[in-house]
Amino acid sequence: MPLGSLDRTPPPFFKQGTSALTKLVLFSSLSCGLMFADLHYNIVQPARWALSLVVYPVQWLALRPQALWDQVDNVFESKQEALNAVEQAKAALLAQSVRASQVEQLTLENNHLRQLLALRERFSTKAMAAEVLYEAADPFVRKMILNKGATHGVQSSSPVMDDQGILGQVTRVHPLVSEITLVTDREHSIPVLNTRTGARGVAFGESGGAPLLELRYMATNADIEEGDVLTTSGVDGVYPPGIPVAKVVKIERRADTVFARILCESLARVQGARHVMVLEPVQFALPGLGDVPHAQQAVTQGAK
Amino acid sequence: MIMPRGQQLLLPVSPMFMLLTMLLAFLLDMLQSMSWLGNAAWAPDWLALVLVFWAIHQPLKVGVGISFLLGLLTDVHQTSLLGQHALTYTVQGYLATMIHRRILWFDVPSQALQVLPLFMAAQLLELSVRIAAGGLFPGWSFLLPPVLQAFMWPVVTVLLLAPQRRAPDPDKHRPL
Repeated sequence: MPLGSLDRTPPPFFKQGTSALTKLVLFSSLSCGLMFADLHYNIVQPARWALSLVVYPVQWLALRPQALWDQVDNVFESKQEALNAVEQAKAALLAQSVRASQVEQLTLENNHLRQLLALRERFSTKAMAAEVLYEAADPFVRKMILNKGATHGVQSSSPVMDDQGILGQVTRVHPLVSEITLVTDREHSIPVLNTRTGARGVAFGESGGAPLLELRYMATNADIEEGDVLTTSGVDGVYPPGIPVAKVVKIERRADTVFARILCESLARVQGARHVMVLEPVQFALPGLGDVPHAQQAVTQGAK
Repeated sequence: MIMPRGQQLLLPVSPMFMLLTMLLAFLLDMLQSMSWLGNAAWAPDWLALVLVFWAIHQPLKVGVGISFLLGLLTDVHQTSLLGQHALTYTVQGYLATMIHRRILWFDVPSQALQVLPLFMAAQLLELSVRIAAGGLFPGWSFLLPPVLQAFMWPVVTVLLLAPQRRAPDPDKHRPL
């Protein structure tokens, strides 16, 4: 048998290095410390930044098969599907053109009214298009990762929407990617306005299998019906007002509680969104309102 | 090393191969979470499996430290609490180091049965950390990954030991 075919180096007798128990104690206390710091303070963010740069190449590699598959899928998408899509787009355009023609008139009317009331012009929010890379693998949370990060100018606490409505909010910004917490996450809450009655409320994520939110703290006798559309109310200083959030799907009124249990379905495609818009938070656009970078945190802490 | 009678002598392990397998396991974890399964609670954790495998077969090279580091990377990828997977991987690496002398004396199916409680302990630890940090119980399918990982133990044993089972003196008829 040739040399080198067996591991001939004898195991070290005396220099065994640090014992496994010592390492266990050291590293578990280190991880417990990290978790505590991550949960209560904002000091481990630099470490997360650095590690995310290490993980990014592997993530990029892991996304290649999906991207390749998408390309192949695109090539073989049938002509009929494309034609159908065009038909649908035409129908949608027709439906919207009616409203669009009204918009100019309404804008004009609005301008007059605002000038009359000497109100400030409603600002238009800056937006940035982004693509969803993947959903976070953690089964406990509802989060997504976007392909735009701090280097592209994404700010923490920016609202994110797709073409149907509010999707969530940027909660962590890495150099190349950013994390958004979806409206259906249990830790997320969003102030909403019932478009039919004008009543304000706060909707909390449910974190269940279905894309549901719960509209809490509404009295059992409150005027709310299934099918009511909830939009952002704009009182939080983060979300621009008037963007659709959810639709009421189920109302349980029970005699033993003061509040009704109201379940709403998210209008944005929280499970299949690909292309999204990252809006600038309202407070950055408002002049002279001071810097309130963590309005979202205040809202989520209210939820606990 | 004292070995059970009748077991094949193995070639020395290549550190590059170990590193490669860990990287591939990490990649596989990402792939199934980003493309195939989403955030399904029952998806097996390949990285944990490979780490335990090497901690049992090469305890001097892979152990608590490397498990901790890869746990941190997993935390960043999964956007979970920083240190959560690091803690479970650390404990799991320690348990694997503790049983490595005993477990290799058994045949492979019995080994799989013995690593099952190890994976289960790690999973329950992760669950308790999550619930302590204010998470919700994600359903009973959360207890499935340890079972799947234990089931994959024989497969992983064959795959990861294959380079060490090559012929010590390759010739024309036995190139590998």
